[in-house]
Amino acid sequence: MTVTLMKTKAEEQLAAQFASTAPLLPGGAWVPAARRAAFQTFARQGLPHRRIEAWKYTDLRNSLKDAFPPATCASRTVDDAMLAQALGPALHALPCIRLVLVNGRYVAKQIPAGCEPGGALHCGPLSAALGQPGYEWIEPHFAPAGDGDAVMALNAAFASDGIVLRVETGHKLALPIHIVSIVDASAPMTVATRHLLKVDAGARAVIIESHVRLGTSAAQATAVTHIGVETGGEAHHIKHLAQGDGSTHLGHTHVEIAEGAVYRGFQFTADTSLVRNETHIGFSGPDAKLDLSGLMLGRGRDHIDTTLVVHHSTLGCESRELFKSVLDDRARAVFQGKVIVDPIAQKTDGKQMAQALMLSEDAEFDSKPELEIYADDVACGHGSTVAEIDPAMLFYIRSRGIPKAQARDMLIESFVAEAIDKVEDAAVREALMQIARGWLAK
Amino acid sequence: MLEIRNLSARIAENGTEILKGVSLTVPKGEVHAIIGPNGSGKSTLAYDIAGREDYEVTGGDILWNGESIIGMEPDERAAKGVFLAFQYPMEIPGVATMTFMRSSVNAVRKKRGEKELTTPEFLKVIRAKAADLGVKDEMLKRPLNVGFSGGEKKRMEVLQMAMLEPTLAVLDETDSGLDIDAIRIVSEGANKLRSPNRAMLVITHYQRLLNYIVPDRVHVLAHGRIQKSGAKELALELEKTGYAEFKAKAA
Repeated sequence: MTVTLMKTKAEEQLAAQFASTAPLLPGGAWVPAARRAAFQTFARQGLPHRRIEAWKYTDLRNSLKDAFPPATCASRTVDDAMLAQALGPALHALPCIRLVLVNGRYVAKQIPAGCEPGGALHCGPLSAALGQPGYEWIEPHFAPAGDGDAVMALNAAFASDGIVLRVETGHKLALPIHIVSIVDASAPMTVATRHLLKVDAGARAVIIESHVRLGTSAAQATAVTHIGVETGGEAHHIKHLAQGDGSTHLGHTHVEIAEGAVYRGFQFTADTSLVRNETHIGFSGPDAKLDLSGLMLGRGRDHIDTTLVVHHSTLGCESRELFKSVLDDRARAVFQGKVIVDPIAQKTDGKQMAQALMLSEDAEFDSKPELEIYADDVACGHGSTVAEIDPAMLFYIRSRGIPKAQARDMLIESFVAEAIDKVEDAAVREALMQIARGWLAK
Repeated sequence: MLEIRNLSARIAENGTEILKGVSLTVPKGEVHAIIGPNGSGKSTLAYDIAGREDYEVTGGDILWNGESIIGMEPDERAAKGVFLAFQYPMEIPGVATMTFMRSSVNAVRKKRGEKELTTPEFLKVIRAKAADLGVKDEMLKRPLNVGFSGGEKKRMEVLQMAMLEPTLAVLDETDSGLDIDAIRIVSEGANKLRSPNRAMLVITHYQRLLNYIVPDRVHVLAHGRIQKSGAKELALELEKTGYAEFKAKAA
């Protein structure tokens, strides 16, 4: 059945915004046509709503009342004080190569003295690469024809910039790369960023993607990241969200893992009012490994939706997912984890776990694991738990002289730490732990 | 001195009466043992001394040094010198044992009006005490009790007791699940804490532990009451006759 819906105010705003903004957006050659096609894809279906199964728990049509105007092209600079304020001291202090975008535009690259990666790393703004010779590899991932997803389409239509990054064959980067998107606004605005990342055969990189806010005003963000990990490569990808009260983040991460390659992802979400973090994982060769985890910290009326589609289409791949939520007040977390195992994908080893710790009776956790297994020689499983703080554990800690509030914090921290421990890089792990502690202390 | 006066208690969740008028006195400097069959209320008594809410006190009183501790929070009791070594110590993932113990020791010191220990001071003390109990440094770095064997957990309980230097120590079935070597180590740890300022209550199902921690007095708890009290020989007697005498009484 096709349901025809009236255009909402937000959808009409988006159409007007596209008409006025499109001519100002970067990209020559094929790009303008791709943007128009993408917008039409979006316009045909409108904002996703609860009658679409994948959006059952996150009714964007209903919650997105107004489409904020797109960020303007005003040139910006960034200094250390701004970065420290936007990222917090722990993440700011992380030794790394930092690529900074402000209000959806590339602003700066910071490389610690003596740490230049030389020929190992090519990176720069998407705006300079779109439609340019030498960057043909990004074309299939910018606005894939036939991709009907509304968020993907909106992002392709409006993307003003992002990072294009390639770690060359065999190079193992010593420092993490930190891509920081800052929204710094005094009035509500929308930003659309798109990162296209590639870790070539046998290369290794730790990539952190932050989406943070500096100004006083709320933001709506669409953020699409495509990561390809080539044969035997290893990518560690941390997505860190803190876009502030009143902000919406619509994220889409696409990962392609080639033969024998490893992708370790960690999605850290706190301090963002409405989040849809969708991740699609594909395996393009056998014996590849996926380890994807995340932590959702919600309070107030935060709504954090993590939606995964893990598609095993080749032999002998391994996938692990662990997602934890801590929910207070009337916060709500959604976990949808679909694992598809094709008939050809024998010897697949897949395990999925979603756990929520409820700090309030009014919090809500919706968990929807979906296993679609068409092969017969596989080991796949999933689990989901919802719990409150265990009174027996609380008593044990308090019997050692630790006051109730501190004992409670210790148990929440213990729950949180189990997720963050999945991050291999010690410095990044410690920085995330400090951010989590900061959130808990609020 | 610990004085338990006509204590009754029930399980809050379902109202089951467990303790039906327990009276008991343990003077400072003495070690008393409580023995009794399974389900007699031994652990409930231990929990009520430490302040676990779901074992609800419905009558009587518990006095420590003349002050009623009923109604005090568990952490307040710890600051007053009360310590319970758990029969089943909890696993706390994500919290390193060392970090936990430092928080614990300093929380108690703070409440007792003592200066908190600095990191080097704390490390010096804990390393020495851990070595006495055969607890390796590597174990202190691991999350508290996570993946520890039964013996390791009990050793960790005794180490926590040694660190907190309680004046009232309650050991709940500290021997359960331990082999003879582990019992010896744990008992030596407990015996080191015997002092004229400290009262100890050793709860056990078997007499065996009392060969290592020799009590000044033994009380038999069955059907929620102290059925009999006597010198240490009482435990040996019961080892031979079993608890049949007390079981029969109820029937």
